[in-house]
Amino acid sequence: MTLTHYLALGAGLFAIGLFGALTRRNVIGILMSIELMFNAANINFVAFNRFLHPDRLLGQAVTIFNITIAAAEVVVGLALVLAIYRKLNTVYAEDYNLLKG
Amino acid sequence: MTWVAFYTFAVMTLGAAFCVVTFRNVLHSALMLGVSLLGVSGIFALLGADFVFASQILIYVGGINVLVLFVVLLAARHSDLVLRQSNAQWLAALLVCGVTLFGLLRGLKAYRSVTLAAGPEPGTAKIARLLLTDLAVPFELISLVLLAALVGAILFSRAEAE
Repeated sequence: MTLTHYLALGAGLFAIGLFGALTRRNVIGILMSIELMFNAANINFVAFNRFLHPDRLLGQAVTIFNITIAAAEVVVGLALVLAIYRKLNTVYAEDYNLLKG
Repeated sequence: MTWVAFYTFAVMTLGAAFCVVTFRNVLHSALMLGVSLLGVSGIFALLGADFVFASQILIYVGGINVLVLFVVLLAARHSDLVLRQSNAQWLAALLVCGVTLFGLLRGLKAYRSVTLAAGPEPGTAKIARLLLTDLAVPFELISLVLLAALVGAILFSRAEAE
């Protein structure tokens, strides 16, 4: 296995996530696609760490931070989605066109 | 042996991710997200990142995915199953993604000759030392971010008490 294999996997996952984030109508689907893109970045971090600097694990530490940020993002995002759903009774992104519901 | 495991996890990750973005039923998408995240954790295990592997399963599959499933169940309507789940711009999005993927894959050529030097060794103690010495400030900041996210989530999701 070379580094290219892992980076290609990360690139593919990122492209799929980007496609989902651009095309899903459901806000929860968009959030899930963003999680996929986070994971693609994490694969790249860990792969670079393993292949280029195996003695220092900075890439893995950054991945831990990334996972934490992703958790915080998804928690706040889903809380917002639920709050908006209670007001507008919809989860589709094109219906979210009012700042003051 | 490694490449069998790699391709298994890669197909699992990419196939499930494709299902996540294309399935009409969001509940099935959320379940497929769990499969995809498990595949990513397998890739982490292959790369010898033991602590990241464990946290991926604990936080992503056990935490985030369950949370997403809860919200899918709480904010679902019957009409979602018959409505179109992708917007009208899918062709443009496909073009954007194709160009992005092409550019990323072209950039990979420089790393074709990089191969592994030695086998993996356990890294949990190393990460712990790193988090408490060089990365101590980001480590404390991230706990502040988590606290803010916790307070924000409670603030947004509580029922109005008027």
